[in-house]
Amino acid sequence: MSRKVLIIDDDADFTEAVGVYLETHGYQVISAPNGREGLRLAKAEAPDVVLMDVVMDERTEGFFTLQQLRRTPGLERMPVFVVSSIYSSVPGFSITPEKSWLRHDDFIAKPVDLPRLLELIDARLNQAGTANASGGAA
Amino acid sequence: MNPETRSATPPAPAAAAPPAEVMVVIDDDYAMRLSCRQILTKMGYRVEVFEDGAAGLDGVARSKPPLVVVDLKMPGISGQEVIARVHELDPEIVIIVITGYATIATAVEAMKSGAYDFLPKPFTPDELRLIVGRGLERRRLQQEARRLQLERELLKRKFITFVSHQLKTPLVAIHQYLDVLLRLGDSPTAAEKRDEWLGRCIKRTEEMQDLIRDWLTLAQAEGGALTRHREPVDLGHLLQQIALTYEGLVSSSELALQCAIEPGALVVQADRQALSVLFDNLITNAIKYNRPGGSITVYGGEDAGEIRVSVTDTGYGIPEDARPYLFDEFFRVGGTAAPRTSGTGLGLPICRRIVTELGGTIEVTSETGSGSTFTVRLPVGSATPPQPGAQG
Repeated sequence: MSRKVLIIDDDADFTEAVGVYLETHGYQVISAPNGREGLRLAKAEAPDVVLMDVVMDERTEGFFTLQQLRRTPGLERMPVFVVSSIYSSVPGFSITPEKSWLRHDDFIAKPVDLPRLLELIDARLNQAGTANASGGAA
Repeated sequence: MNPETRSATPPAPAAAAPPAEVMVVIDDDYAMRLSCRQILTKMGYRVEVFEDGAAGLDGVARSKPPLVVVDLKMPGISGQEVIARVHELDPEIVIIVITGYATIATAVEAMKSGAYDFLPKPFTPDELRLIVGRGLERRRLQQEARRLQLERELLKRKFITFVSHQLKTPLVAIHQYLDVLLRLGDSPTAAEKRDEWLGRCIKRTEEMQDLIRDWLTLAQAEGGALTRHREPVDLGHLLQQIALTYEGLVSSSELALQCAIEPGALVVQADRQALSVLFDNLITNAIKYNRPGGSITVYGGEDAGEIRVSVTDTGYGIPEDARPYLFDEFFRVGGTAAPRTSGTGLGLPICRRIVTELGGTIEVTSETGSGSTFTVRLPVGSATPPQPGAQG
């Protein structure tokens, strides 16, 4: 069974390039061009991991999407990677993982280092798998 | 009854200031405190008076007045020191010095320590009123200038941040495509995707080039460099030339572009290149936000020394709530039926800037769902009549 990755990004080219790369590494990729559609797919398709840009067309849209995702029953712990170029380009702007309402698992700067992306996803999925397995055994 | 409450119509303050603002008067002379209080109260201010520097400074720290009247010669803390300490508290407080020792030397001394102006005793109520009014007006202007400066800096910083993000987005896409292509080597996937992806990379570099071009154009327009060279420009001729460059795009988009200005009919004294950029942007927009089967019409006319050119499209229109922001940098109209279009978000800001530099105006009227009209009005300028035999 192949793992499913949801890419939420308003740049179709980014989604295409990274999506094809993930597909050639055995992932099933679905994508959404905005937060609303992304949220819908996260609920409907139950992806194993989400890659999400936080600065999309409506500037803060990604943050709202993330917040809503975390408030959706069943999706509170879905692995989400925030992927964005803002981390390196906006001085004084940072999202600290400690900010509880964000609770994103990690962030990845754009352009994405592809081998590292694979490692991060694998690591997260193994963690989640272990957690689920132990949860199920308990 | 207090005589002051009887004065039905106190003279209006020389400077428009909120009525309940506090003024502080520091003077060891009782009669002086009393008359200053009366004059300033009649101007509509609340007045606090103090008989020495120490008490006065406490009062200033507590009430944070916009203006302080201080006597230069007082027992205890001197007027000079009061001036210095008031400005330590807040350099924007206007200080007016009064003194019985009206010599050039004391005046110079007081001004050097940062007082706004100097009033020799005895003075008339009008003299105090005038000087207070002027002092407050200067303070207001200074504050306004500082606020505008801050706003400009903030906008500039925001602008640079935004431009860098707009440049970085296509750069990331290109990087990602090339990186994946390299990693895929000569796999079937790479072979399948290569041409399409390289084409997309070229498109994205074009996007960056457009942004850089518009960014530069806007900067040039803002500095006035784009509108410096004035000459008589035949608008009918210019617009028909622009229309020609769009022939291909117009027919492939199933549109009709018509310029209803005859060559020679409208001549304006302006910068030819600036006008080209201006109308090129307006016509591009009219094409981009139009619908198949639609039309773009350019009308023109002249009334009362003013030239009017309008570009009308039959597109999706602009929602009313978006119209006030239409000429702002990077503003994109959302929430219409229009498909997402590419663009730098600087076209209309460039238009507005050019029109302003040329001494004209630009405005938009729009009907959601049925189209928009952009109207440019320009002063004819000291146009020399079109030369006989000139092209057009």
